[in-house]
Amino acid sequence: MIFGLLETFNGNPLLLYLAVIGMACAAGGIPPMLERKRRRSIENALPGLLEGLSDTVGAGRGIQEAMMEQSRNVQGPLGKLLLETLEESHSSSFEAALSAFAAKTRSSQVQRVMVLIETAIEQDAPLQQILSDLAMDYERLNDLMNTREEELLGRGLLIVMFVSIGLPVLIAFIVGLFAPASSGFQIDSFNRTFSLFFGAASAVALGVSGRMLGRFRDALWWMPLWIALSMGLYLGAVVMIGG
Amino acid sequence: MRKLDEQREILYVIRTLDVLMSSGVGLEAAIHTIGSGGYGVISEDFSSMMKRLRKGTAGGLDRELKGLLKKAESEGYRRLLNTMYSNVTQNTDIVETLRKQGVRMENERTEAVKKYIEELGAVPETLLSIGMIGPIILAIVGLVPQLLGDGAEAIVGAIDQGMINSVVNGGLVFTLIGMMLIGMKAHTKDPGL
Repeated sequence: MIFGLLETFNGNPLLLYLAVIGMACAAGGIPPMLERKRRRSIENALPGLLEGLSDTVGAGRGIQEAMMEQSRNVQGPLGKLLLETLEESHSSSFEAALSAFAAKTRSSQVQRVMVLIETAIEQDAPLQQILSDLAMDYERLNDLMNTREEELLGRGLLIVMFVSIGLPVLIAFIVGLFAPASSGFQIDSFNRTFSLFFGAASAVALGVSGRMLGRFRDALWWMPLWIALSMGLYLGAVVMIGG
Repeated sequence: MRKLDEQREILYVIRTLDVLMSSGVGLEAAIHTIGSGGYGVISEDFSSMMKRLRKGTAGGLDRELKGLLKKAESEGYRRLLNTMYSNVTQNTDIVETLRKQGVRMENERTEAVKKYIEELGAVPETLLSIGMIGPIILAIVGLVPQLLGDGAEAIVGAIDQGMINSVVNGGLVFTLIGMMLIGMKAHTKDPGL
């Protein structure tokens, strides 16, 4: 059946190439999604950690001790990573441990916070106030990022679904119904032009959707697959409806 | 692109300068810390400024800051440079000003994100309107000669299939360009989170 389906698209080598490339690229698109999920979970837990550190430092404990205590209290990957790093860092300096922790999280938010904490320790700055301010700053920032994600995710998906799936099927329905190839209509060139258009429109839709959510580069991995899907849907539906 | 980079980094730069300077670090040392990296285009600006100051090719910190003011594209960055310039030339209370600027910029960022979400609310509808109406009309135009057959000649005279194809192709390209232009809003209005 699969070979039969592929045979249908023999006249469109671009679609077949894109389908193969798309499947390979989709495998590359999954790791950024998982990484993003992990990074956002760390970043969302960061304000809580900073607030806890501020309270503990305010109670008169040292920053190193406060971090050790918080690493045991904070749930999720942030606490786990912090605990791991602090336990591994017995043989090195505390500054080195902070840098290692920041690098392991692969989050620019955490890296910036750690640089600031290091600088504050070096300069003997009032840590409790700084940590509390940072906690509030990053809480607000993460709230904004989460709001953007929640509000725009639905709209981004709507664009991709309509342009990449709805539109090709709709036009294929019109073409297949009113100008079926089985009745002798010469629509090969027409179909080629429209399938290319749907491929390009699909790429634009995915790009816009990715940019809206602030993850254009991640969306690029999925682009060939969506282009192939859109072109395949149109050509397949025309054949199915028009014969 | 530069403007977007500046907008994305400026609040972090202000917070870092605030921490550094309120704990007693001097302005030059604070600029050096920012210039050592981590703050995108602002780090690059500060780093090249410090290099020129160290080489002695610059006319002084005040002139360098004034030079950067011309280069800055975002309002927030310009305001920060202006505050630093005032501190160098008039010895103003930079820490207090930085704090106020930080609060103000954060409010602005929140407003910008809300506005971005609101403005993008219309993008799917507009994109779908153009992306769907255009191809539907062009599909009908492309099929008209075959659908009407000889009857088409009786109505509109001789129809050149080549011309119809050109019209459809051109129309589809215009539709794509229109979709891209509408989609560009998502990029140009980005608040830079």
